[in-house]
Amino acid sequence: MKLTDHEKKTLDGGFGTGPQDAMQLLMTLGTVYDAERMIPVTTCHLGGRNVLLGGQENIDWMTDLYEGGARFQVFTSWNAGCCDFNLWKEMGLSEKLVEDQKRSDEIYVKLGAVPLGTCLPYYHGNLPMPGTSFAAGGSAGATFVNSMIGARGNREGSPSVVAASICGVTPEYGLHLKENRYGKVIVDLSGLDFAAMTLGDFSALGFYIGRTLVDKTPVIVGVPRQITQDQIRFLISPMPTGGAISLVHIVGVTPEAPSVEEALGHKKPEDTISVSRKDLQSSYEKLTTTRGGKVDLVAFGCPHCSIGQIQQIASLLDGKKIHSDTRLWVGTSRHYQTMAREMGYAKVIEKAGGLIIADVCVAPGAPFHLVKGVRTVAINSARGAYFIPGACGVEVIFADTKECIEAAINGKWRA
Amino acid sequence: MKISLQGRKIIGGQAEGEAIVTRQLISFLGGVDPDKGTVVERGHELEGQSITNKVFVFPQGKGSTSGPYVIYKMAKRKTAPSAIINVNAEPIIAVGAAMGKIPMVDRLDQNPLDLIETGDHVKVDGNRGVVEITKKKKSG
Repeated sequence: MKLTDHEKKTLDGGFGTGPQDAMQLLMTLGTVYDAERMIPVTTCHLGGRNVLLGGQENIDWMTDLYEGGARFQVFTSWNAGCCDFNLWKEMGLSEKLVEDQKRSDEIYVKLGAVPLGTCLPYYHGNLPMPGTSFAAGGSAGATFVNSMIGARGNREGSPSVVAASICGVTPEYGLHLKENRYGKVIVDLSGLDFAAMTLGDFSALGFYIGRTLVDKTPVIVGVPRQITQDQIRFLISPMPTGGAISLVHIVGVTPEAPSVEEALGHKKPEDTISVSRKDLQSSYEKLTTTRGGKVDLVAFGCPHCSIGQIQQIASLLDGKKIHSDTRLWVGTSRHYQTMAREMGYAKVIEKAGGLIIADVCVAPGAPFHLVKGVRTVAINSARGAYFIPGACGVEVIFADTKECIEAAINGKWRA
Repeated sequence: MKISLQGRKIIGGQAEGEAIVTRQLISFLGGVDPDKGTVVERGHELEGQSITNKVFVFPQGKGSTSGPYVIYKMAKRKTAPSAIINVNAEPIIAVGAAMGKIPMVDRLDQNPLDLIETGDHVKVDGNRGVVEITKKKKSG
């Protein structure tokens, strides 16, 4: 790999052992992917901050880097953690978990992270420019920024994002290179009735596309120009879990897909598939692990809810009462939580027995298993449903928003 | 008998020790106990065997992108392998070896899974990408 003088000096320890270790890690990644050089990153977003995901090893490693003189060199925000620092008691969590999360956060603060605490960093100040490169953990956000903004980043683990932020560079491989960003398979959605589709349906559709295409970048056609950001978020966020897709072209909508030809790089597609309502239904069935009995917790917020979604949930809960044995969490950013309070939505949701929580991942870094009595979680997200059983050790029901709210009111899944 | 192989440097440094070899992929997260240094993946051909201070030879890694932390933890607790030889490295094992500062090479000029057997003495020079194998004496 060709390095600049500054990168060489970093690798030789000229700026201390922290930057040296970080550069060594990036060199390793570059070697594995046969990268020719390093390129600058403009922003970073850290996934491993959640103490349920990163753990003590992450804290130890980052402390070593910090003590070795490392600091974040570019705008670096952090992802959702595992507890709302103000509502942890209401969530049924222990003080120890809160302390663990705070202790973990300390090292990120020292290194210079911005505490956004959400998987929607691009709505809250972490927005790389089109054509520039970024490094991000949290595959939903990375896929959104790749697809909707046209900034360039790969699916990667937390350590390499930390290293990129410390060195301000990342090896040039994968989706950083324009030639790897062209679509491979045309996905025709013109057979679907978009007007009748719920957010859950968009999520089910995204999971199906991910599962079918595995790692081939889709070029989606037949989507109305009026598709909303909420719908797009639900469509693309399950693709990295159904498969390993981190970039999605929607012709006429996303910036690198003004036409089918340009999205494909003027090459022939490897395949063309069309999706029907039945395919979409298969995601609901595949991801749901239980159909019987009690629902202990209903979760919204994978990815974190926008203010529009919170409004919808509040209107569905207005005047209703959630079952006394069931919890309902609406996961969002601190900013939208504040706004929801100002706009009165928080009051409606709390009156019904639910909580609007900020700074909390509702999957895969969710603390469901740490809340007494939670064995079954219902969620309106395919991405969430994919992670929850393995990461949290509880049963999951994947259903649309309205059905989830119905389950919260009845305390059980409909017969 | 000594055999020398040339490969690609992934992580520098030199180490030697007894080889432990598998043709199956390895996930450190969930597949290896970082306290004991043993493989714990159910049904894995190395299940129950220690990899601590050994030259660990396997095709490549698999599993979660959180795997590197486990390798780092093992290096801190001195339960890690002394060196890693992969057929073709992927980022999870490579990043873990970088974090734990474990010498690592891949893409050797002959398949290490054919030439190295568990129990052979193996020297890994990560700086030059060179592997030197001393075959164990055949017993009986």
